[in-house]
Amino acid sequence: MGEIKTPGQDILRGTLDLLILQALSFGRAHGYGVARWIQQATGDALAVGEGTLYPALHRLEERKWISASWGTSENNRQAKFYALTKLGRARLEIETDNWRRYAAAVFAALKAAP
Amino acid sequence: MSRWARFRRFFGPDPAGDVDVELSFHLEMRIRELVDEGETPARAREIALRRFGDYDSSRNQCLEINERRRRRMTRTEYVTELRQDVGYALRMLRRTPGFTLVAVVTLALGIGANSAIFSVVHGVLLASLPYRDAGRLFQPRMLYPDGTVYWALSAPDFVSVREHSRVFEQVEAYTTGTFTLLGAGEPQEIRGARVSAGLFELVGWRVALGRGFVPEEHRPGQGTFAVIDHGFWQRAFGGDRGVLGRKVLVGGNPYTIVGVLAAGERLPDVVDMYAPLEYDETFSATTATRRRAEYLEVLGRTRPGVTAVQVDDDLKRIGAQLQRDFPDTNDGLTFTSASLRARIIGDVQRPLLVLLGAVGLVLLIACANVANLLMARASVREGELAVRVAMGAGRGRLLRQLLTEAVVLGLAGGALGLLIAHWSTRALVAAQPADIPRLEEVGVNGPVALFTLAVALVTGLVFGLLPALQATGGRLQRALREGGRGAGPGRTAHRVRAGLVVAEMALSVVLLTGAGLLIRSFVELTRVNPGFKAEQAMAFRIALQGDEYAKGQQIRDRVNQFEMRLRALPGVTSVAATTVLPLSGQGGLIDFQVVGAPPPPANVNREIGIASITPEYFTAIGTPLRRGRGFTTHDHDKAPAVAIVNEAAVRRWFKDSDPLGQQVEMSGVRREVIGVVADVRQRHPGQPVAPQLYTPYAQRTARTVRIVVRSAGDPIALAPAIRAEIRALDPNLAITDFSPLEQLVTRSVARPRFYTALLALFAGVALALAATGIFGVMSYAVAQRAREISIRMALGARTGQVLRMVVGRAVALAAGGALLGIAGAMALGRVIQNQLFGVGVADPLTIGAVVLVLLGSAALASFMPARRAAALDPASALRES
Repeated sequence: MGEIKTPGQDILRGTLDLLILQALSFGRAHGYGVARWIQQATGDALAVGEGTLYPALHRLEERKWISASWGTSENNRQAKFYALTKLGRARLEIETDNWRRYAAAVFAALKAAP
Repeated sequence: MSRWARFRRFFGPDPAGDVDVELSFHLEMRIRELVDEGETPARAREIALRRFGDYDSSRNQCLEINERRRRRMTRTEYVTELRQDVGYALRMLRRTPGFTLVAVVTLALGIGANSAIFSVVHGVLLASLPYRDAGRLFQPRMLYPDGTVYWALSAPDFVSVREHSRVFEQVEAYTTGTFTLLGAGEPQEIRGARVSAGLFELVGWRVALGRGFVPEEHRPGQGTFAVIDHGFWQRAFGGDRGVLGRKVLVGGNPYTIVGVLAAGERLPDVVDMYAPLEYDETFSATTATRRRAEYLEVLGRTRPGVTAVQVDDDLKRIGAQLQRDFPDTNDGLTFTSASLRARIIGDVQRPLLVLLGAVGLVLLIACANVANLLMARASVREGELAVRVAMGAGRGRLLRQLLTEAVVLGLAGGALGLLIAHWSTRALVAAQPADIPRLEEVGVNGPVALFTLAVALVTGLVFGLLPALQATGGRLQRALREGGRGAGPGRTAHRVRAGLVVAEMALSVVLLTGAGLLIRSFVELTRVNPGFKAEQAMAFRIALQGDEYAKGQQIRDRVNQFEMRLRALPGVTSVAATTVLPLSGQGGLIDFQVVGAPPPPANVNREIGIASITPEYFTAIGTPLRRGRGFTTHDHDKAPAVAIVNEAAVRRWFKDSDPLGQQVEMSGVRREVIGVVADVRQRHPGQPVAPQLYTPYAQRTARTVRIVVRSAGDPIALAPAIRAEIRALDPNLAITDFSPLEQLVTRSVARPRFYTALLALFAGVALALAATGIFGVMSYAVAQRAREISIRMALGARTGQVLRMVVGRAVALAAGGALLGIAGAMALGRVIQNQLFGVGVADPLTIGAVVLVLLGSAALASFMPARRAAALDPASALRES
């Protein structure tokens, strides 16, 4: 099976944490739910490498930004659900701000005169 | 079976299974969605897997993160629990101050004794010697065919060893002596050493002031420069930096001080002043001259990696070479060697290790005692422990809690023990017992503190484990059912405690037997007749050096004048001079031969102890003449050479003949034997009397003499008068070692007394601990069996019967311990065998006494509990239970 790289992937790597936090800001969700949200919200930026989502989730859990608990999925399967913690919510605000400033700076640079 | 379905089987509590469930759930959901969108299941799976990417990598990363989290959590949990346990332990110990005090003091005694003895062992045996590459320093010595080892080498042999050796990278030599120092305050005797050119460099010494020696100063007649010891610089010159260039008279010869050694640097022997060894023509590997004049202590540093065996082989090879090259002087002779460590530590290693073993046993007994206390307490605490079990604490958790308590106790005991060790080592060093080498380096330091910490920790675990296991055993559930009142210990608990007491008793017997044997030996030693009367006599030493005493006649005249003036003092009954005092452990040996007797085989030691004495000597020390006559003033240097021998010499060399009138030869001089004198112990009361020969001082004069004064009253009261008389004749004379003869006797047994006293102390502590242990167990047993005893008394048992029952049980326990202990003592007796004198390891008197003492203590310790049992009021005891 050949590797297909999309340009979005590298950008995503740095911002995956932010996307996960954002996905969970709407309520608790399992990993697949998060993946689905990212798929829809970013135009499938995670089309290859959905697997990388899980180490990211575990890392965030380790940092206590999100918490995990076992539950039953919509189709009655055992699934691990994640939810944003207080710490995670605060983190999301900071990261969102940072991202905005960063994006604005890059845009400003792109529009700047030569 | 599909991959994710296979993973489902791993569902369970294991983290790997959890990750697999999570990941396969993702794949399953994706596939279902794709199938819903119209893909075939096979195609859907392919797409899902491709979207997922590297499954194993994701899985492993997740597992890694989880594992890291788990480990961190256990660690925090452990620390939290430990903190809880320690806090809980401290609260528990505070709540029972009596128990805590007894336990901590018991442990502190045990641990403190161990730390104190360890600090001695560490300072004396383990700490490195203050020399560069000390482990590679060896002392070559002469080995005579009969096995006699002589510590010194002659100058030619020294140079031969230095030039022919293949194992030594450097070989140096020194010789020490005692001299009178003039020019630094009062005349005084000092220890001086002449050292070869490289000695300071060999041992890595630096000078604090001035310089060392230069090669020219080792030429004959040029060695008139001196480097002084740092301590001596402080003592004699008050640390004056202007000491450099100062001229002093040592043994009548002028020296210029050119250097002061750095602090702490000294030879195995105490030396105050160093001068260059002058290399005369005998410092040659090719000369045969003076090969048998042995006076140099030799010190060599081996190349790295050379073993003691290789050193010995190399020296044997050189010895064989010299036997071939110089058959006249070196026939049958070779070399042996000892490490410098062995030379310094010598024979104290074994006794110190025995003491360390003894305190180890004391600590074991202390542990058994505290374990006993803990077990008694555990039965009281059963309710509390049961509640904790009910609240969800597992056995492991409770075990850890109880062990934490024990270790906290152990550490508290260790802390107090360290204080005890600090005080006792200070006292020990201050007492300077029995010239143990390197004692000044003993003290509580880093290694000792570490040792104490380790001992305290291990101790806590040792005495804590049994009670903890016992307490957390199966009875807790039962205790809870009974409302936490305590179910009482089972039979096993009681048996374990009885076993502990038996073990304590056994260990005490081992110690008591060891101490008993040493005490018996010591008594035997002090009973040995030294061969002279030490009471009412004293001795001092003078060294006649300098221009005034250039000729032998001048020395003899002066000694004679001293004798006459001292004799005139009121109360003095006799005065004499000798070169060697009895029991001093000193004195020269000389090769000796009975003229006309068949010459003994070459490998027989022909040495005889030799001393020069003035006529009144035997009267002064109180030794009877057996046969013939003593020396008189007529036996002067122009008269026929004469000698007196002791009875040991007669037994050894004149087996079948009358010694009187026979000729003996030594150093080429023939002497007629004119008398036989009773044996006098010259070295140590524990050693057999060696053959001894006396010559008239007038015929064999020495510069250093000891003058013995016997008086009607207390001889020490005469000391000022004696000093005044000596000063009146020669104000420049150093008078040293002023002491009663009795002190010679005391000093000769100082070491055995020291070891005996310490071991007896430890045995006493052990006995006291063991008795406490039996007291505790019997008190407890009485309390537990109150009901049974009451019934017996209600049924008509008399007080005496109850007393007998309790005491009898204690004595039975002690007897069991005694049996085991005697077996142990027999097995361990060998380690002290070479310290025993006049008594065997299996000495029935000692063993009998020990058993009696032990049974007596057990009876005594159990008497109080027995009285309590006998005083029970049957009615109330029955009502209560």
